[in-house]
Amino acid sequence: MSASVRSRRLLIFLGVLLVLAIWLSLALGPVSLPLLDTLRAALRMVGLPVTAAGLEQAELILGQIRLPRTLLGLAVGAVLALSGVAMQGLFRNPLADPGLVGVSSGAALGAAVAIVAGASLGGVPAAFEPYLLSFCAFVGGLGVTALVYRLGRHDGQTSVATMLLAGIALTALAGAAIGLFTYMADDSTLRSLTFWNMGSLNGASYARLWPLLIVALAVSLWLPRRARALNALLLGESEARHLGFEVERLKRELVFCTALGVGAAVAAAGLIGFIGLVVPHLVRLIAGPDHRILLPASALAGASLLLLADLVARLALAPAELPIGIVTAMIGAPFFLYLLLRGRA
Amino acid sequence: MLCCRGLDVRRRDTLVLGGVDLDVRPGEVLGVLGPNGAGKSTLLAALCGELQPAAGDVTLDDRALAHWPGAERAQRLAVLPQQSTLNFAFRVEEVVGMGRLPHASGRARDAEIVEAALLAADAAHLAGRSYLALSGGERQRVHLARVLAQLWPGAQGQTLLLDEPTSMLDPLHQHTTLQAVREFALRGAAVLLILHDLNLAARYCDRLLLLGDGRPQVLGTPEEVLRAEPLKAVFGLDVLVQRHPERGHPLIIAR
Amino acid sequence: MRRIAGALALLIGVLTAPGLAGAEDLPQRWVSAGGSLSEWVVALGGERKLVGVDSTSQHPGSLRALPSIGYQRQLAAEGILALKPDLLLGSEEMGPPTVLAQLKAAGVRIETLSAAPEVPALQANLKRLGELLGDPQRAARTLADYEARLQRQAQWVEQARVTAPAPRVLFLLGHVGNSPMAAGKDTAAAWFVEHAGGRNLTGHDGYKPISAESMAALDPDVVVFADRRLSGDDAIAALLKSTPALASTKAAKGGRILWVDPTLLVGGLGPRIPQALADLSAGFYPAAPPLKVADRQP
Repeated sequence: MSASVRSRRLLIFLGVLLVLAIWLSLALGPVSLPLLDTLRAALRMVGLPVTAAGLEQAELILGQIRLPRTLLGLAVGAVLALSGVAMQGLFRNPLADPGLVGVSSGAALGAAVAIVAGASLGGVPAAFEPYLLSFCAFVGGLGVTALVYRLGRHDGQTSVATMLLAGIALTALAGAAIGLFTYMADDSTLRSLTFWNMGSLNGASYARLWPLLIVALAVSLWLPRRARALNALLLGESEARHLGFEVERLKRELVFCTALGVGAAVAAAGLIGFIGLVVPHLVRLIAGPDHRILLPASALAGASLLLLADLVARLALAPAELPIGIVTAMIGAPFFLYLLLRGRA
Repeated sequence: MLCCRGLDVRRRDTLVLGGVDLDVRPGEVLGVLGPNGAGKSTLLAALCGELQPAAGDVTLDDRALAHWPGAERAQRLAVLPQQSTLNFAFRVEEVVGMGRLPHASGRARDAEIVEAALLAADAAHLAGRSYLALSGGERQRVHLARVLAQLWPGAQGQTLLLDEPTSMLDPLHQHTTLQAVREFALRGAAVLLILHDLNLAARYCDRLLLLGDGRPQVLGTPEEVLRAEPLKAVFGLDVLVQRHPERGHPLIIAR
Repeated sequence: MRRIAGALALLIGVLTAPGLAGAEDLPQRWVSAGGSLSEWVVALGGERKLVGVDSTSQHPGSLRALPSIGYQRQLAAEGILALKPDLLLGSEEMGPPTVLAQLKAAGVRIETLSAAPEVPALQANLKRLGELLGDPQRAARTLADYEARLQRQAQWVEQARVTAPAPRVLFLLGHVGNSPMAAGKDTAAAWFVEHAGGRNLTGHDGYKPISAESMAALDPDVVVFADRRLSGDDAIAALLKSTPALASTKAAKGGRILWVDPTLLVGGLGPRIPQALADLSAGFYPAAPPLKVADRQP
């Protein structure tokens, strides 16, 4: 009983933390707005009757810049953390990362194709141009993951071990292809590629937000429904089958969910590391491995962490901006080392 | 009741198990004996649907095993594998509680059952501890408690398959564990277990199946199976068979 | 100190700006995202109007005291808005597009000029900058002067070629600690070499790593080296140390390794180009009398 009380407390704490992170993300930025203006503009946005006098700038900054950015951070953080949980469950290894099934490297390859070859293709309709990068990244992520999954299938069964190795091989292959594109790139294209690989929530707009929001919502609603099956899967695939779960379908769904979620997140914000690895790990340390708590808690913590990291990214060097992947890696990598050394002691 | 008829299992065109007819009867503990590689684990895997038989069929309550919906089958059939690869820091009662996943018996009832199953596996004192902090033998007992909880309290129509449940246990816990399994069978459940220790088999099993080279050699009571000739033929071991001075079951001593 | 001076200049700019004739329509707070564009703004007397520049705007040195808005392709909308600019100046490379859209929605005028290293692009750019700064005459004068200097440069090269053959040139771009990359035929570096009277040796596009062996095989008469970190003789010494294969070339044997400032190569033709061309061509044709550069600065 005390365990479930503790879990509930953790969820409440993370919920409050997320609300706080959302507020900070809306209230802080290089442009300093009076707190009262921010509050009034926020209230107006949710439809409350507040006088608009003198709010033009606050409404513009909040509505057109900070809100889409906050929503993007929320969705990307939650989806990456949830995908991390799904992959750690699938591979039954707390150190697994969404990148293991090739979705990140596939997306990076797609992005490289879009950035380097896209410029010389020329055949893309103008209306489609702004979406080319996101589209290619998404397709690349999904494509490589599908291939990894296909290679893992044999006689109607999916071998997780084969998938792991296929993931490593295809990641290396994608790396080589990216290297080739890098070689062909000119200087400025190269820099775009480098920046994309470090991720950013910069330039979020509603038009590009909604596909990710739909995917994030679907993943956040669907994965918790498989919490019990994921718990059983941690015992082992046979054990989960003996407990009555359809393991093959579960594995397929987990891979699909991760590919879709990470693919959409990466397409919208570039490669952002360590959230998928560190957040589930952190939550597990506090709340234990039960997916009924782990999934919602990771989604909340992932979203909060990414929003706070983005705050650092946009304030540290203002008016310029730090790629967010640098911030998350700077928080994530030392933490990961700490876990490693702590586990050894 | 779990039955198989004319069961053949092949691995890459090699017949690893052939011609098995077996009923795992309610209220009975059926022991499977045999040297390494005789096909014991293969038999267990075929009986629980992990391996597809090349010929023959496996039925649970007169219905092909594969046709059972997952959760309903899990309420009737529980399997304890030889080894577990759980690598996450669940608490002991959470691991045992996973046995209740196929049921919708409610949180309070599940907690009672987990407690009872832990007690039966002599692991009640482990409650609250992290699974990863346990020794190999303790983990084995926790998993036993888990499969007991899955079928708890054990009734007619339920079948428990155990692959070497005592392999990592000390002598005392080998006996307490098998005693718990016996009591489970007394309440009506059918039990099939793979054992290596002939004397434990003699003491706790109602019937024994002796496997050699992937074929059933002898099937019968301990007195019928545990004789010097079949044991010599299957294990290549010369033994003396005597009577247990107090309990009367066969006692096997290597010569 | 520089910061205070900058702030003071800004203050004076803000105070005096409304006094100028017709200045109401002109943008007063500029953010420039492009190295050579920033240089031109300064050259045309608009430095006081600059309130922020991107990471490629390194010349003149006083620009480095201004707030940096980061890399031109990765601009941050809110960071730029915090500088309260009227105008964002940049090249076609400026982005991402969503950020530009957000800035436009916030009322920032966005002026996109060409970064192509060619005279027609420069003509259009200077004309536009003159209008935006409210001093088209000065811009026209500066342009005429610039074109005249390029003209004299071309004539000088023609003269020099009468007595000496065009040197065969390999242009290397250094990256700290790494082996240098050779500038391909479509780069600004190649334009630079050709206009200084050299013959660029490479046949590839862009900047590509080059092997020691092909370097020796090309056997250039002159090596031009641009390094991002080191300058002058230090850069040349470092190059010879990191690339021993160069020692076998005519360029090294004749001591004809020349250093140029790599910031000249980005963002189109900047105001420092004629002087740099004159310096480089003097190195290409050591026997010819060096071109006298007009004293009058634009």
